[in-house]
Amino acid sequence: MRRREFGALVGGLGGGLLGVPWPAHAAGAWSLKATSGRPVYFRGWQYKTDIVQSNVTRYNTTMNGHVNYATVTGDYPSIMEQMLMSGAELDVLYGNPSQAVHYFEGNWVAPADELPDFDQIKADFLPNLWDAWTYKGKLLGLSYFATTRGTIHVNLKAYGAAGMSDKDFPKSWDELYDQVFALHAKGVSTPFLPHWFSDWYGISWAFVFEVLNRGGKIADDETHKPLLTTDKSGPAYKTLAAWKKLWNAKFVPAEILTYDEAAFIEAYGSGRYVFSPQQLYDLQTFNDKTKSRIAGYDSLLPVQGQSWGLIDSALYMMTKRKRSHAVTDDVQRFTSWYGFKDLDGKIAVGERWMAVSMLFSAYRSIMDSPSTEARIKQAVARPSDYKVVLDIYEATPFPSGVWKVVWAPEYNSWLKDTLSSFLLQNGDIESLIRASNKKITELNDKYGI
Amino acid sequence: MASEPALRLGARRLGISFGRRRRELSDTQFALAIGAPVLAFLVLVVAYPLGYAVWMSLHRIIFFGGYRAVFVGLSNFQKVLADQDFWWSTWVTVRITAEVVVLTMLVGLGFALVLNRRVPAGGVVRTVICLPWCVSTYGAGLMFAYLARGQTGLGTSLAYAVGITHPVDLMTSDVVIEVLAVGAAWTMAPLVAFFLLANLKTIPRRLYDLAALDQLSPLETFWNVTLPPLRYTLFVFTSIVTVLTMKLFDFIFVMTGGGPGETSATLTYEVYKISFKNLDLGYGAAMSFYLLFLIIGTTFLLYLVWGRREVTR
Repeated sequence: MRRREFGALVGGLGGGLLGVPWPAHAAGAWSLKATSGRPVYFRGWQYKTDIVQSNVTRYNTTMNGHVNYATVTGDYPSIMEQMLMSGAELDVLYGNPSQAVHYFEGNWVAPADELPDFDQIKADFLPNLWDAWTYKGKLLGLSYFATTRGTIHVNLKAYGAAGMSDKDFPKSWDELYDQVFALHAKGVSTPFLPHWFSDWYGISWAFVFEVLNRGGKIADDETHKPLLTTDKSGPAYKTLAAWKKLWNAKFVPAEILTYDEAAFIEAYGSGRYVFSPQQLYDLQTFNDKTKSRIAGYDSLLPVQGQSWGLIDSALYMMTKRKRSHAVTDDVQRFTSWYGFKDLDGKIAVGERWMAVSMLFSAYRSIMDSPSTEARIKQAVARPSDYKVVLDIYEATPFPSGVWKVVWAPEYNSWLKDTLSSFLLQNGDIESLIRASNKKITELNDKYGI
Repeated sequence: MASEPALRLGARRLGISFGRRRRELSDTQFALAIGAPVLAFLVLVVAYPLGYAVWMSLHRIIFFGGYRAVFVGLSNFQKVLADQDFWWSTWVTVRITAEVVVLTMLVGLGFALVLNRRVPAGGVVRTVICLPWCVSTYGAGLMFAYLARGQTGLGTSLAYAVGITHPVDLMTSDVVIEVLAVGAAWTMAPLVAFFLLANLKTIPRRLYDLAALDQLSPLETFWNVTLPPLRYTLFVFTSIVTVLTMKLFDFIFVMTGGGPGETSATLTYEVYKISFKNLDLGYGAAMSFYLLFLIIGTTFLLYLVWGRREVTR
C-alpha cells in the first residue's frame, strides 16, 4: 500500500467514525441537554396536564429540548398499545407496572437500565418498588408515582356520630364488613362505598387487593399458576361472599358499577359514607375544604396486623420505535431529566408532584426528605395520621402473580366484567373462582407460560 | 332541405367558420370520468381496510414472542357463533337500535313540525334545536352520565325539589339501555328534523287550504297532507339512524363503559374489547363482520318491507 493510499484510508475511516451518530454517553460525555434538534414525543394521560406541560416547557427552555407533549383522552393503555404496535410517533409514555410488562414483552419499550445514570437511579430506589418495577432483571421505567390504592378512608365525623372512635377501628376486612352492617343496623344508611367503579383499575383491583390483604394470592408470583381455592374460609371465597352480602343488602348504590374514578372520589367526598377504599394520596383531596365535605375529618384505618390495599404506581417508559441514535439519546436525556434528576441534581419533577398532589415516589431521597414529611402532615386530618400513612405504605403488597406477567391487562379486563356480572346476576361464588383459575390457565397456555 | 356540405359551403362564403367538430362524451363516459376519482378514493379508504379485515379474520395474530399470523380458516367465525357474549351483545345492539330509531324519528318529526310553524324568536328556537347535533358524542356521553347518575343527576335534583330524599339512579341494569337511547336520540334528532323541515317546506300551501275547505281535523290534515310527502325521507333517515346506532361506540364507551356489568355492551363495544383490550385482532375482525352482516341485513329488510313501496310510489 502506498503512503497516499494509506493516508486516504485512515482519513476516510476517521472521518466516517466522526460522522457516525454515537450515543452521547458512549464517550462519557453524558449531558441532559438535547442535541438532535428533533422532536421527542411524550404522550400522557389526563392528570394535571398543566403541571406536566410546565415541566416540559421548563425542560425545553433550559435543556434546548424539543419535547412534544400531548394528552390522550379515552382508554389510555389501549391507545398507547396501538401506537406502540404501529411504531407511531411516541417516545415517552406513562404506564402501570402490569402494562409495562405487557409492552416489554411486545418488545416495544426499552428498559431504564440503558440510561447512563442507571446506577445512581438504582441506588436511590425503595426496595419494594424496585421489586415491583423490575421484570426479567430489567427496570421497566422511572418513577412517576407510587401509592396505596384501596387503603380504607374513614369519615371521622360520621363515625363519631355513630358513637364510634379510634379504638373501634376494624383490623381486618372481616371486621370491617361486620362493622359496616352494624352501622347500617344503627341507622347509618350508607356506611360503605366499595371500590367497584368501572375504570380498569376499579372493581377488578378491589378483588385483587382484598384477596392479597386477606393473605391470599390469585396466581403464583413466579410460575403464574392459578392459586385460588373454593375453600369457604379461603380469601377469595370470603371476599366474594362479603361482596354478595353487601350488594344484596342494597345499601351500596347500584350505579357505582358505572362510576368513573372522578365520580367515585366525589361520592366519598360528599360525606355520605363512613368507610371507603380509596387512594392514599387522596387524603389531601378529602381534607381540602374546596373539594370535599369531610375536610378535616378524613382519616385512615391503621395497619393492625393486616395490610390494606395494594401498590398502585406508574412509570415513565421509553419506546423502542425506529429513530436515529441522536433522537434516542434525546429521549434518554429527557426521560432521565423528567423521571429522575435535573441538571442541578434535584428530582425536581418528583418533588413537585409530592408538593402539588402528594404523589409518593419510588426514590428514597424524596420519601425521606423533611419537605415530604411536612407535605404529608399538611394533608392529614390529625398529626397522628402521619405515622399511619407511612405504616400503610410500608406494608402495602404488590400482586406479582397477576401483574408481572404478559397477560395481566387481559386477565384484568376479564375480571372486571366477570365481577360486575357476578354482582348483577347474583352469581355463584365457587363458579367464579373456578372460572378465574380456568382463565389464568388458558392465558398461561396462550402465552406459553 | 340543404345538405350539411352545402350548409358548410354557404357558411364559408358568408365568412362563418366552423371549428373542428368535437366528439361528445356519452352519459356513461361522463359518469365514469367524474366518478373515477371517487372510486379510486373509495378503493383506498374502504376496500383496502376491508380486505385487510378479511385477512385478519382468517388468521390468529400473535404479538408476543415475536409477531406472527397463523392461518386458521373460518374458525374465528365459528368461534363467534359459540360465544355467549356475542349473542348477548347482538341482543343489546338490536334493543338499543330499535329504541333509538323510534325515539329519534318521533322527536325529529316533532322538531320539524315545530320549526315549520311561525314561532316567536324562530331563529333562536332553530339554533337551540340544532345544538345537540353540534355536541360531540364524547361530550354528550359525559353529560348524560352526570344527568343520569343518582349522585349528580337530574332525577335526584327533581326528587329533592319535591321533598323525596332518595336519590334517583338511572344507571342501573334495568333502565340503562333506555337512558342510552334517550341520549343517542338527543344527538341525532336535530339532523332528522332539519331534513324533514326541508321536505315540509316543499308541500304547497294550497293543499292545506284545500284540507281546511274540506274541514279536515288537524290529525287528518297531518295524516293526509303532511305525512305522505315525508314518507320517503322518513324511510331514508330510519335507515341512516339504524346504521348510526348499530355503529355507535364513543357515546356508550364514555357514558356507561358497556356497564353496569355487560348490560350495555353492544357489538361495537364487544369488538373493541376483544380487539383492543385482549389484542385478539383476528377474532375481533371476525366478530366485526357479523356486525356488518347485521347492519346490511337490517337495512335490506327495511328496504323490503318499507323502502321498496316508497320508491315505486
